[in-house]
Amino acid sequence: MSESMHITLNVWRQKNAQEEGRLEAHACDVSPDMSFLEVLDVLNDKLVSEGKEAIAFEHDCREGICGSCSLVLNGQAHGPHKNTTTCQLHMRSFKSGDNITVEPFRAAAFPVLKDLVVDRSAFDRIQQSGGYVSVNTGSAPAANAVLVPKDDADSAMDAAQCIGCGACVAACPNASAMLFVSAKIAHLGLLPQGQPERKKRALAMVSAMDREGFGNCSNHFECGAACPKGISVANIARLNRDWLGAVLTEREERKDQGD
Amino acid sequence: MATQEAATTTSPAQNVHPKLQSKSPSGPMAERWTKHKFDLKLINPANRRKFKVLVVGTGLAGSAASATLAEMGYKVTTLCIHDSPRRAHSIAAQGGINAAKNYPNDGDSIFRLFYDTVKGGDFRARESNVHRLAECSTQIIDQCVAQGVPFAREYGGLLANRSFGGAQVSRTFYARGQTGQQLLLGAYSALSRQVGLGRINLRPRREMLDLVVVDGVARGVIARNLATGEIEKYAADVVLMCTGGYGNVFYLSTNAKNCNVTATWRAHKRGAYFANPCFTQIHPTCIPVSGHYQSKLTLMSESLRNDGRVWVPSKMSDTRSPEQIPETERDYYLERKYPSFGNLVPRDIASRSAKEQTDAGKGVGSTKMAVFLDFRDAITRDGEDAIRARYGNLFQMYARITGENPYKTPMRIYPAVHYTMGGLWVDYNLESTIPGLFVLGEANFSDHGANRLGASALMQGLADGYFVIPATIAAHLAGRALPAVTEDHPEFRAVAQQVTDRTQRLLGIKGKRSADSIHRQLGNIVWNQIGMARTASGLQSAMRDIAALREEFWNNVNVPGSGADLNQQLENAGRVADFLEFAELTARDAYEREESCGGHFREEHQTPDGEAQRDDVKFQHAAAWEYNGEGKPETRNIEPLTFEVVKPAQRNYK
Amino acid sequence: MPTWLQKILSSSLGKKYITAITGLLLVLFLVAHLAGNLTIYADKDGSAFNSYAHLIESNPLLPLAEAGLLVLFLAHIGLAVRVTIENRRARRSRYAVANDKGKKTTSSATMIWTGLIVLGFLILHIWNFRIGKELAGESGDLYTLVKSELRQGWTPWAYVVGMGALGFHLWHALRSAFQTLGAAHPYLDEAWEKLRWLAVVLALGFASFPLYFLFYT
Ligand SMILES: Cc1cc2nc3c(=O)[nH]c(=O)nc-3n(C[C@H](O)[C@H](O)[C@H](O)COP(=O)(O)OP(=O)(O)OC[C@H]3O[C@@H](n4cnc5c(N)ncnc54)[C@H](O)[C@@H]3O)c2cc1C
Ligand code: HEM
Ligand code: FES
Repeated sequence: MSESMHITLNVWRQKNAQEEGRLEAHACDVSPDMSFLEVLDVLNDKLVSEGKEAIAFEHDCREGICGSCSLVLNGQAHGPHKNTTTCQLHMRSFKSGDNITVEPFRAAAFPVLKDLVVDRSAFDRIQQSGGYVSVNTGSAPAANAVLVPKDDADSAMDAAQCIGCGACVAACPNASAMLFVSAKIAHLGLLPQGQPERKKRALAMVSAMDREGFGNCSNHFECGAACPKGISVANIARLNRDWLGAVLTEREERKDQGD
Repeated sequence: MATQEAATTTSPAQNVHPKLQSKSPSGPMAERWTKHKFDLKLINPANRRKFKVLVVGTGLAGSAASATLAEMGYKVTTLCIHDSPRRAHSIAAQGGINAAKNYPNDGDSIFRLFYDTVKGGDFRARESNVHRLAECSTQIIDQCVAQGVPFAREYGGLLANRSFGGAQVSRTFYARGQTGQQLLLGAYSALSRQVGLGRINLRPRREMLDLVVVDGVARGVIARNLATGEIEKYAADVVLMCTGGYGNVFYLSTNAKNCNVTATWRAHKRGAYFANPCFTQIHPTCIPVSGHYQSKLTLMSESLRNDGRVWVPSKMSDTRSPEQIPETERDYYLERKYPSFGNLVPRDIASRSAKEQTDAGKGVGSTKMAVFLDFRDAITRDGEDAIRARYGNLFQMYARITGENPYKTPMRIYPAVHYTMGGLWVDYNLESTIPGLFVLGEANFSDHGANRLGASALMQGLADGYFVIPATIAAHLAGRALPAVTEDHPEFRAVAQQVTDRTQRLLGIKGKRSADSIHRQLGNIVWNQIGMARTASGLQSAMRDIAALREEFWNNVNVPGSGADLNQQLENAGRVADFLEFAELTARDAYEREESCGGHFREEHQTPDGEAQRDDVKFQHAAAWEYNGEGKPETRNIEPLTFEVVKPAQRNYK
Repeated sequence: MPTWLQKILSSSLGKKYITAITGLLLVLFLVAHLAGNLTIYADKDGSAFNSYAHLIESNPLLPLAEAGLLVLFLAHIGLAVRVTIENRRARRSRYAVANDKGKKTTSSATMIWTGLIVLGFLILHIWNFRIGKELAGESGDLYTLVKSELRQGWTPWAYVVGMGALGFHLWHALRSAFQTLGAAHPYLDEAWEKLRWLAVVLALGFASFPLYFLFYT
């Protein structure tokens, strides 16, 4: 089962945000059962034993849920498969002799910190602008006091599955964050608990997104294809709707909001 | 001890170590928490604004505590090791969260959840804490629903429940197979709201590397900015450590790669007692190791045991493919040994039984370190579609990792470390033996005794963060004027210097091995000797081997790069160094606990038919280890446990 | 400018809304324009086309309509160019390996270029039939003018290329605009998938005129 494969990795190396990066080639012998990140582990072990600096890359859960891993393999965010994060990608998806170019997520809003590590804090700032239901601890009504139709709960869950990895931005030719923002808007907008702040949330999150320097959505739909959780681009249409409704019915007191 | 008196609601027990006063309230069990909250002094809102709270870690416990305390008006600073709080390890929990709502009307109650948890913990947890946990469980669900957590629903729009981990009532709330994710995103959204409002100072990419104690009171931490390498000082009036468990001392575990013991271990070395480090939980259904490069193990939900049958070939070293092994040559060992619970025996028993089989040479797969979990009969009975509907995404995950089709060929599973019940000792207020240092979530030792029930860790993290600490923090802050301490205090400078020196020392060794390779080796020792079955001689050899490996580490590790930069090798080396110290204490704790209970199985202490044999006379206590300085043996102090409501009995699953 | 308009124009979504609405209005105009032009095929001497042209030209609202069209074009082009520049800025460093997961199309990836070709075509078109005509002081038979212009040198080929670009532009535009306007739903999406064939109809329809004059008259 596990005969060894020979592959060449062309890995992006970049000292820090200021310096230019470049690709560096490494020949590796790997087992088909290895995950892609394990290939980087083994390579790093080798680099360290040679006294060289290891390749920096982000990872934590290694089971596709934390959203840390963030690699572009041969131009595809999270590699060739559908609904799969880099950490869940195994080498049996490649052939012996393959060349794999490994790059960081590229977007002006995600500056490279080092090698393959980028700064995605822009997502947090968008979230902080309105991606929540304002409910203080202790003030919640009884859980079953508000009924939620099962279909709505399921659709909300579909959108809520977003792991915030940023592959949508990485894959979008415009580096747009619309899929990410729309997933949160849809998740909360589909539930009764999210209704009171629905308009305010759409306005605030969209202007926060604009401030971060993401691109605009051109509806290429590459984001949906790259999303490891299969989040649908229909959420983007929903965001567009919610936002227009909010702009047109916006009241004066909102001056402090958004821009 | 004057500092702790403010919150004492019972008189100190005479025969108990002065630092290990549990401060459990007295009176009827069901009224204790209410009474305690009443007895705690309130802090008026204007004063809250003056108190600086430092939270370390942003899992369920840390995020919930940060958000709630900020809502109440405290000045909160939160350190997050990741680029975003949403990535904390809690995100990975799958199965669900328990709560005594009794929505299915199947006889559940706060009392039953309390009872099950005390019993499940094999009578090594503090009753008062467990009862409080069960009480808070219902409020947690209310809170999460209000935040927009999309829990599973019935067609009528009500919340759905399932039974989990062998529980006889359906009290588990869930959001598909991503309950931890949804709960954490709920807490993260509450936290984000407070950050947006300017009430939380969120510091991402910060790793706590030491605790600063001034005049015996915790006053802040030293952290490293992981993006720039800068060593930073954070002063506060109270420190909450919510840094999770230490499962990665085994190297291979289901924990996220960044989980580590550094925060709790550093606090321990500054005076916080470490309780029951040997209480670790091994989960029976994980995807087995496939090779030496393996970096992480993946958990497969326990629910698989509802329909899958566990077996091994009756013959040793049988190399036939499973389909070729006839029924008569299969040993369904769980069904054979435990006719009434069968494949649904508790986690510790299922895990240990798998080890017995592989030890006996009956393991399967290329590594021989696995047993089969077979769905053939369930598929014949219910059809492949029914099985797909129940477990589709788990089967998919299995196929993705192993490249095998579990509908056609049985899954291979093996136990893996999953959770750590041990942690920093805390009293009923969640305050450690260092005044002003509170410990929440998996990082403390409090509620699960020697074994944790499925779906109860999420409950505990959120109970601690949303409901317990907001009340008990007053035990430290109310009615006292803490002397002003800022980052310029000499103690801060001294500790920061020590941290810097340690970093320089790691960078200066310039040996031959990566920290990771030493960590792997440590994991091997810990797994083999302090894993599912432990013996006195094995533990002794573990202590020797760990000490030798520590030596090897400090002489031969190589940490390339500099300290003034993003340097993951350096981060890792610091964590491995702490694991190397901590592992020895774990071995010692296991060695000294001459009984078997919950996840701690000493081969010398078993019943004639191979079950765990507790020793309630000698070991009905929590062992709280006290650090005595570099190179000196630690002192084993104890907090005796009393069981006023649930009477200790032998667990029996035959 | 009213604040709501300001707000819309300063937001990424607002810019897209206006690009989409102006684009769709332009599509409506194209449909009407094509329908009118089909009178060319009604007879051999162009009298049907001429009377249709006369009907339009004698309408007192014509200047207003023309001004409206101009505003639509300017708004569409202005915002589209701005949006495109912002998009380029959002990804400063390019991937070493250009690849995707198969959703992007040639049509969606070349909107700015097909748009600019259409713009070039428009300038030529307006020069041919509007400004050129006035400058020459010609009057009378529009059909003859069209026929002679569309048979002159490279002009018919420029028209064909322009219409090819329009087809490409609208192939993505017609799908994209409804998504931008938020009109997405499994049933609606099916309808939009069919509607995008209008792009082909418009492109072929308009391109047929130069070819007709070149080869059949
Ligand atoms: C695969 C898996 C599935 C699980 N499923 C379930 C389930 O279904 N139900 C259930 O109840 N429980 C489950 N658990 C257990 C449960 O997820 C955890 O016990 C719980 O989430 C712990 O929460 P916490 O807030 O205490 O800590 P964590 O979520 O672990 O958060 C602590 C954070 O602190 C960070 N940290 C560590 N050290 C430092 C430092 N020095 N400085 C700064 N930050 C630091 C860590 O990286 C971590 O992100 C599961 C666990 C695993 C591994
Ligand atoms: C008859 C002429 C035209 C019509 C009918 C038309 C129609 C449309 C429509 C319907 C859209 C879709 C909007 C959306 O994506 O939501 C669009 C997009 C676009 N148009 Fe046009 N257009 C025309 C001319 C032009 C011209 C002259 C340009 C010149 C620059 C142009 C540039 C663009 C660009 C760049 C986009 C894509 C914007 C984006 O989403 O990134 N268009 N057009
Ligand atoms: S490492 Fe967590 S999603 Fe890949």
